[in-house]
Amino acid sequence: QKMASKIRVVLRPVKSIVVRFCPFESNVESTRKFLGYINHKKIQATNRNCEVTADVRHDGSEPLVDVMFADGERLVMKGANLTTIEMLTALGSRCSAKDLKEEQKSKKRNP
Amino acid sequence: GWLPALQLVRRGSKAVTRHWKAMHFQRQKLMAVTEYLRPRPAVPPRCLAPRKEIVEEDNGYVRLLRRQVEEVFRDNRMIAVCQYNSMPGEDVVLMRHYLRKHNIEVKFVLNEIVRPVLSQSKYKNLLPLFVARNILLVSPEAKVKEMLRVLKGVPQINLLGACIDDTILSRQGVENFAKLPSLETTQGQTVGALALLPSQTSSLLQRGSAHLTALLDQHIRRLRAGETGSPAEPTPPQSSGDH
Repeated sequence: QKMASKIRVVLRPVKSIVVRFCPFESNVESTRKFLGYINHKKIQATNRNCEVTADVRHDGSEPLVDVMFADGERLVMKGANLTTIEMLTALGSRCSAKDLKEEQKSKKRNP
Repeated sequence: GWLPALQLVRRGSKAVTRHWKAMHFQRQKLMAVTEYLRPRPAVPPRCLAPRKEIVEEDNGYVRLLRRQVEEVFRDNRMIAVCQYNSMPGEDVVLMRHYLRKHNIEVKFVLNEIVRPVLSQSKYKNLLPLFVARNILLVSPEAKVKEMLRVLKGVPQINLLGACIDDTILSRQGVENFAKLPSLETTQGQTVGALALLPSQTSSLLQRGSAHLTALLDQHIRRLRAGETGSPAEPTPPQSSGDH
């Protein structure tokens, strides 16, 4: 299912994303697909300043997605038991919430 | 013509309006009764026994692709597996070009084809790597440093692991492999280390006679110096017992 391409994630409030996984483990599939979807043209086009780093380890640690927002907030998603769509929707909802907040703030400043 | 004096109109709006007009109550009832009901099977399909799905026949194309993958695994010394996140086309071409210069070929592979091939060959540990989109970088030589440099310039490709000379390496292993000195230097180092002990033994064995020779030489020099200058002083050889 190509559902994940319909989930629009606006990466404007995101500063950086670090995806850590160990490819020889068996529970990394959703995290790897998540990484693939973030690197898509459309989502990258929403924010060119967002750095997406992939950390490939071999120490048996679990797959992790670490998102740093521009206002200092941090979102950590442990992908071992999450599906790709869940992670994408979680990230997308937080991003759009922050985006709305910023728009409201800028509207208050410049009415 | 003659228009009816009284027209049945409520609230002054016509039959065709620009806004949604509420239907007549009888019409509402008719529409509610005649709504479309989807035909559903009496027993939900989940409760029935699952149908045995026909396994698809071995496509000739699939067989060809599998044969190609097997060839790749046999012919090349170095096979690196990387995750491919969508890259703009020109970047792909550029990357292929740079890797071609070092005789590294880029192959796009489908997981469904690679997985059965791997499970039958001896590379079972590479199986968990083949999830999500991957590419293979294959080469008959093991030019790891150049490959790492090219991949560093491409952020959307992540090296997952490699199989160099039938040894499966993780990403750390690949980086360590790149830091190793070349084969000639390592061979030289091994030869030097191996030759160290016997050379020590031989020098130990020869120490006695070498010492004696040195002392005798010194004695001869002193005798000669003594002949040209004052009469010879008898210097007894001190290490005659050192054999």
